[in-house]
Amino acid sequence: MVTQPTGGSGRYGFLMTAAIGLAVVLAWNHLGLDTARLGTSGGRLLDFLQRMVPPDLSVLGIVTEAAIETVEIALIGTALSIAASIPLGLLAAGTVTPAWVHVSVKWLLAAIRGIPLILVAMIMVGAVGLGPLPGVLAIAFHSTGMLAKFFAEAFESVDTRPLAALSSSGASAFQIHWFGTLPQIAPDLLRDVMFRFELNLRESLVLGLVGAGGIGFYIQTYIRSFQYQKVATLTIVILVMVIAIEAVTYGLRRVLR
Amino acid sequence: MQALSLENIHFGYKSGDEPALDIGRLEIGSGERVALIGPSGAGKSTLLKLIDGRLRNWSGKAVVLGETISSRRTPGRTFSRKIGFVFQEFALIERQTVFENVRNGRLGHLSTARSVFGRLTPEDYKQILTAIEETGLQELMHRRADELSGGQRQRVAIARCLAQQPGMILADEPISNLDPVRAREILDLLVKVCELRQATLIITTHQPMLVRTYVDRIIALSEGSVILDEESSPASAAQVMAVYEEMADPLAAHNKPASV
Repeated sequence: MVTQPTGGSGRYGFLMTAAIGLAVVLAWNHLGLDTARLGTSGGRLLDFLQRMVPPDLSVLGIVTEAAIETVEIALIGTALSIAASIPLGLLAAGTVTPAWVHVSVKWLLAAIRGIPLILVAMIMVGAVGLGPLPGVLAIAFHSTGMLAKFFAEAFESVDTRPLAALSSSGASAFQIHWFGTLPQIAPDLLRDVMFRFELNLRESLVLGLVGAGGIGFYIQTYIRSFQYQKVATLTIVILVMVIAIEAVTYGLRRVLR
Repeated sequence: MQALSLENIHFGYKSGDEPALDIGRLEIGSGERVALIGPSGAGKSTLLKLIDGRLRNWSGKAVVLGETISSRRTPGRTFSRKIGFVFQEFALIERQTVFENVRNGRLGHLSTARSVFGRLTPEDYKQILTAIEETGLQELMHRRADELSGGQRQRVAIARCLAQQPGMILADEPISNLDPVRAREILDLLVKVCELRQATLIITTHQPMLVRTYVDRIIALSEGSVILDEESSPASAAQVMAVYEEMADPLAAHNKPASV
């Protein structure tokens, strides 16, 4: 006799959905969200948009310069993060180090990932003063938590059988890793790096809010002083920057399989 | 001249008390083709590892291609490159092309600096391309390994080992992952290239009936010892098959499959 499975995923799924729905309702009430305000929002949004046109192109020069600074901060920050992630990734790889090492390094990386970028940036500004330097350091520190984890996963994925084959054919230790290990993981590492670079670029917009360099400074300045036409220019520059970088990394990612 | 000469070989896994290898005397002549047969755990792979110089902590005397193998040190690259090894699971780099995988077999002939800067000599290119030609891979040379079928992959693995210009080829269950037609193709190829290059071939397998026409000699291993060593013939293959069935699984002897 075949017994009917009891419980089952159907009931479990229903309970989960109900629980999430209840949580949303409770949170809504707790925050006291006033839906009536949505009714009058249309006009205000239109007013806001009207005040943004035409964009004030007189700030295009300084805003572009700040955007380039942001790209540079993301670039150097990512490069420093790569340098830190190779040794940390090796230490965090289960196939490379004993359990007590890779487990503790993985916890350390999770802790690093857990600290929000803006907090790291504020600490770095406190440590080294205003300007792009704390921004670079904050990006480097913050992104190492993710990049080293990705690197560790790539190192763990290496198939050791071809390495044994190379060793058996008389290849030197360096040749084994250069011709055996690297080709297996290089595309993954590059993909991880580009993904993280894109994230860094977008996240680095907030650095300016705490005085750690880049275009974020102008976002804050122009919005607080109600200079919406300059905000418009700023928005266009940020959009162009992000889309351009994504186009480049998208193209590169397609090449890597 | 002997390609391989073993004397009083003894090897035991540290944890177990059953010795994994116990061979009094075994000689294989230069250019000979030998099938090494026995159930899993009989010591076939261990013996191949020993001949390849990768086994540690054994005792006895082993001379391979005129060089005495040490049980303590990894052999030098000049020795390693003389022994070609073909694996059951091909052991290719999936993301690399056929050419790159075959080139990897040539690294033992190249200094590290030369190889990293891609400065292969005309002789290196000649050997790589000859290996590709002999294995019939010209058309697939620029395809990635992960685009190939099992039989094609094993041909790449054989080409990689030919790029070493080996004096001996050790093939560890090279046909276990292949269908019967592909398996015959690979055996044909192994025999052809070994004849062409006058290389000694030692091949481990679970299929004596299939392999017997390709080899000169059949050696059966059980629990690390040689239990049969005869010229390859229908009779010896059948004998191995019978012994094999009994040692593989006592029940199987009463339950014989019609053929292999």
